[in-house]
Amino acid sequence: MLTIVVRAIIIYLVVLFLYRLMGKRQLGQMQPFELVLTLIIADLATIPMAEVSVPVLHGIVPVLTLVLLHFVLTFLSSISHKFSSFLSGKPVIVINPNGIDYKALKNLNLSVDDVFEAIRGCGYFSVEQVQYAIMETNGKMSVLPKSQYSPVTIQDMKLEIDKSVIPVNIINEGRILNNNLEIAKIDKTQVLNILNKAKIKKIKDVLLMTIDKNGAVYLQKYGEKYQTFQTKPLGKVEE
Amino acid sequence: MTKVGVFKLVSFLVILALLTAICVIEDRLVAGSLMEVKNYCYAIELASEENGGIINGEVASLVDNLEVSWKENEGRLCFMVNHKSIEQLGVEIVRLKTYIDEEEEIEFFTSLEIIKHYVETFQHFMGASFHNIL
Repeated sequence: MLTIVVRAIIIYLVVLFLYRLMGKRQLGQMQPFELVLTLIIADLATIPMAEVSVPVLHGIVPVLTLVLLHFVLTFLSSISHKFSSFLSGKPVIVINPNGIDYKALKNLNLSVDDVFEAIRGCGYFSVEQVQYAIMETNGKMSVLPKSQYSPVTIQDMKLEIDKSVIPVNIINEGRILNNNLEIAKIDKTQVLNILNKAKIKKIKDVLLMTIDKNGAVYLQKYGEKYQTFQTKPLGKVEE
Repeated sequence: MTKVGVFKLVSFLVILALLTAICVIEDRLVAGSLMEVKNYCYAIELASEENGGIINGEVASLVDNLEVSWKENEGRLCFMVNHKSIEQLGVEIVRLKTYIDEEEEIEFFTSLEIIKHYVETFQHFMGASFHNIL
């Protein structure tokens, strides 16, 4: 059993490392060749994990080979548009201003119900609201609504508003994040001052504290309601 | 080129080098180990012919050496080849010793032939060949 435990750890670490190497794509964002790769790797990795008579290399070598192949295909896709189209396909317009393109649907093996499901997922419940719907190569549907059904934007209303800023986590589950202190350009003394102001004595009592470059603080103590307040703007926060 | 790009390129080259090394090592290890067994088999046959049978020190010594050499090679081969596929060869080599002790010459040579047969078979499924690829 110890053998299986050690083998499982080795294979897990190798596969984890290789997936990190390949990138951060989510399952739903995968191109067809990436999905194939994922399925095969999952299958290959389990063989030597449970079968002690099979060398671990029998699992690792094919996985490494596939990763190598993935690198080559990705590289070729990045330098050749034709190759990329061959490998991943092309986005297909399934709804155009004339309505549903049935021929395109049939080529994609999709039904009208599938199109309805996809556009509902994008927040539109009638084909009439949609100007264009495009089936992307990763299997997701992108929808461009007709102008009259588009949501109103700040730009449409010609409003002047401050730029959005990303708050930085300073304390997370009772632990101060030193790297983020540097990003927010504040020091521990300033953090303690903020906590004093909120009548919190210890850092470990804080569930979450964030601060943005405008000095807006979000602070929540364990088991209590959050509080927000404004401090003076701090150093420049990296966005 | 970005840091990530360099890292990916280095990873690619490392994996390529690793795979090449594994393939070359496997090929040499398999060929070397099997050739060693084959040579011992021929040496045992020759020694038994020269000495008029299997009950003599030379044959016994060669069988012992064959056993030691196979155990070493088997340990290394287990990194590359399915253990179950090669275990039968070890069993036949151990049988050779028993046949010498029990003076069973016919069984001894039968076992020797089986060992040679295994070596031939292993060369087919372990080595890199067109048949194996397909």
